[in-house]
Amino acid sequence: MAEICSPLRLPLIAGRKKPAAVTEDVCRALTRPPSGLWWAAFAAAFALLLLGTAAVSYQIATGVGTWGLNTTVGWAFDITNFVFWVGIGHAGTLISAILFLFRQRWRTSVNRSAEAMTLFAVMCAGIFPVIHTGRPWLAYWLFPYPNFRGSLWINFRSPLAWDCFAISTYFLISATFWYVGLIPDLATVRDRLASTEGGSLRHRLFSIFSLGWNGSYRVWRHYEVLYLLLAGLATPLVISVHTIVSWDFATAVIPGWHATIFPPYFVAGAIFSGIAMVLTLMLVARKAMGLEDYITTRHVDVMCKLLLLTSGIVALAYGTEFFTAFYSGNPYEEFVFLNRAKGPFAWAYWTMVSCNVLVPQLLWFRRVRRSMGVVFVLSLLINVGMWFERFVIIVTSLHRDFLPSSWASYRPTIVEVSTLAGSFGLFFTCFLIFCRILPVIAMGEVKAVLSHGQGNGGEA
Amino acid sequence: MTASTHSFTAPADLEKGIKSWRTRALAVGVVALAAGAAGGLGNPDQFFRSYLWAYLFFVGVTIGCMALLMLQYLTGGAWGVVIRRLCEAATRTFPLLLVLFLPVVLGISHLYSWSHPEVAAADEAIRHKQAYLNVPFFLGRAAFYFLGWIVFALLLNKWSLAQDTEPGSRQQLKLQLVSGPGLLFFGLSVTFMAIDWVMSIDPHWSSTMYGLLFIAGEGLSSMAFLITTLVILSRSRPFSEVITRRHLHDLGKLMFAFVMVWAYFSFSQFLIIWAGNLPEEIPWYVRRLHGGWGWVGLALAAFHFAVPFLLLLSRDIKRNYNLLTAVAVWLLVMRMVDLYWLVMPEFRKGEFGVSWMDFVIPIGLGGIWLAAFTWQLPKRPLLPPGELHLEEALAHGRD
Repeated sequence: MAEICSPLRLPLIAGRKKPAAVTEDVCRALTRPPSGLWWAAFAAAFALLLLGTAAVSYQIATGVGTWGLNTTVGWAFDITNFVFWVGIGHAGTLISAILFLFRQRWRTSVNRSAEAMTLFAVMCAGIFPVIHTGRPWLAYWLFPYPNFRGSLWINFRSPLAWDCFAISTYFLISATFWYVGLIPDLATVRDRLASTEGGSLRHRLFSIFSLGWNGSYRVWRHYEVLYLLLAGLATPLVISVHTIVSWDFATAVIPGWHATIFPPYFVAGAIFSGIAMVLTLMLVARKAMGLEDYITTRHVDVMCKLLLLTSGIVALAYGTEFFTAFYSGNPYEEFVFLNRAKGPFAWAYWTMVSCNVLVPQLLWFRRVRRSMGVVFVLSLLINVGMWFERFVIIVTSLHRDFLPSSWASYRPTIVEVSTLAGSFGLFFTCFLIFCRILPVIAMGEVKAVLSHGQGNGGEA
Repeated sequence: MTASTHSFTAPADLEKGIKSWRTRALAVGVVALAAGAAGGLGNPDQFFRSYLWAYLFFVGVTIGCMALLMLQYLTGGAWGVVIRRLCEAATRTFPLLLVLFLPVVLGISHLYSWSHPEVAAADEAIRHKQAYLNVPFFLGRAAFYFLGWIVFALLLNKWSLAQDTEPGSRQQLKLQLVSGPGLLFFGLSVTFMAIDWVMSIDPHWSSTMYGLLFIAGEGLSSMAFLITTLVILSRSRPFSEVITRRHLHDLGKLMFAFVMVWAYFSFSQFLIIWAGNLPEEIPWYVRRLHGGWGWVGLALAAFHFAVPFLLLLSRDIKRNYNLLTAVAVWLLVMRMVDLYWLVMPEFRKGEFGVSWMDFVIPIGLGGIWLAAFTWQLPKRPLLPPGELHLEEALAHGRD
């Protein structure tokens, strides 16, 4: 049955593709040898990963004293990186689960790679609390399990313990959701490989992981019900994970941390940074892999609108916090906020405000949203701004506390900077490998929206 | 069956029905409000408290309708087409709400302790806030909120009407363009409205989440109001021919989302303040959890969240006209209870209580507001004939 859609709906996929062309376009990258560009990027990412590995090994062997922490600033770089990476992970589940429930069909072109990005970002995030424990080989103590250590038991009232559950749940559900979404495409690749390299190891692996998918009506029907249910389950997780991360701070009584707006503010910020990272990666990937017909200017335009919305929410939260600091009449609250704007870390604060509030205002203009170069630069700036947001929240609230005699500053050591660089190395290494071994676009879903809006002409 | 073969204007019998509703609403409203006002002569404090509380509910439904209107233009979703004209009619009640705001202005000295110079002089914390909390600035801000709401309502209504005679993307584009800044204004105005009109009743307490609690509550109550109205109207043409269970299902899902958002914001604020347990914050909850008010708080957790949540999980309920309406009406009642719990414990410290004016004044305000809504509603076709998403929205209901 032809779908009736309004004359405003433009095609999602450009180039009036036939389904076979989609398979061809997406699978081409899997069988041809990697390009020089890919090798260069991989070498750079892997070098960073090695640097990070060295830094973390040195830190574990020596102790957390290799970091620039002191008794006043007990949380700094590592927790900033943790919150940053967890935030990056949010766009994937937003795109794959929430936009699915809202029937936003444009998501089909980006959901696969955004979900992959989520998994890699959560892996990066997980490193930091584990190494911060100082004895990562005992990290399993974070989980409550029957043990013989007497009264040694986690504190269920601590959001840090909830974090542990929230993030592991998030990772499991995201991975499951991603894998379930991959099954039809794995079967497509399996069938293609059967004709060219039947019986090879790769063919056998794809056969195993496609779980005997045969594309029948019955299989698709079960599959779609499962996908809908998983989307329903994943949706609350998008909200809950960063909410619990925000509680790590908000349930404390530190001025600058103890704010009731933190949960939605953190969630909006997470989605903001996540979409920016999706844009950073996708703008490069579409060019490098020739996917311009799938990730069109319209996709970029829509994601830019999401950036504008979440930037607005984040700005409203900044404003509310600043206003309430004055309104509350609490001198400590007031001091923390003035210290952010005028104190020794003012440069970090104004970097955050410029990148997260001022620069995104350019996105009100359609021309900006549709020029890929500008959007790429904006997405990088937003990534920087959101990293600094966490740094500002964490460090500026701590470094000048209630007692001036205990005031201190904080400066990251080379070990900390290398660890951050290493996490980027891990992220990009994983992503580059993903681009080589799995279909980066959900072919099965894209084929279902090929005819969408085609009657209305116009270019996507 | 195309859009052009339909006439979406309310037919004579429906218009007659709406008119009789309007007459009755107006009569009941005026009588009830007059009774409340008469009681107010003897007990002005109670009158203004009940009035503020009831007023917050109706202004909230109206603001929420405007926000949903702008949201559907921005997202380009076809779900909003069937409720668009209802939202527009609601936004045309802003001038009336401006007039109805006058009793709140008259009651400033009864409602807000910071407005008394002698109280402020004796209280360091209030003195600190005088730059913000003073009567002229309070009135100026209120004027600014109303100015913004009325201007945005005017533009949204004007271009939507123009689209009826000039279908095409020109008006749609203008509507989209105004909706972006409109939503921005909505976020800011509701945040500060909540601080001014409600939070400042206790000038010692503040919470950064407060504005968002109102944004969520207003979204929920307007969605519940729209679902209820749509189901009532769907008994006759033109809605009886186009509205199906599928439309209701979509709107029900959005209402379900708002139930969760409200609970998320409310619980987050509670958890953070409970865990911090600071002397400047916790009294707000202590007042709301003791002396009978605790039962109201529990009732909110159970009946504003848990029960509607469980009911709305069901697809069958979201697709059943009567059951979904029952949940929607229930949520409207619970929204009033929620506002009561936000406002009244400040005035009835330590002891739960209800005045007879808490019944007649909401009925009075509601009657008058509904009369204005039902007066505006049939003035335009009940579905926008020039809307470009119309065919898609109607087809969505059919298959």
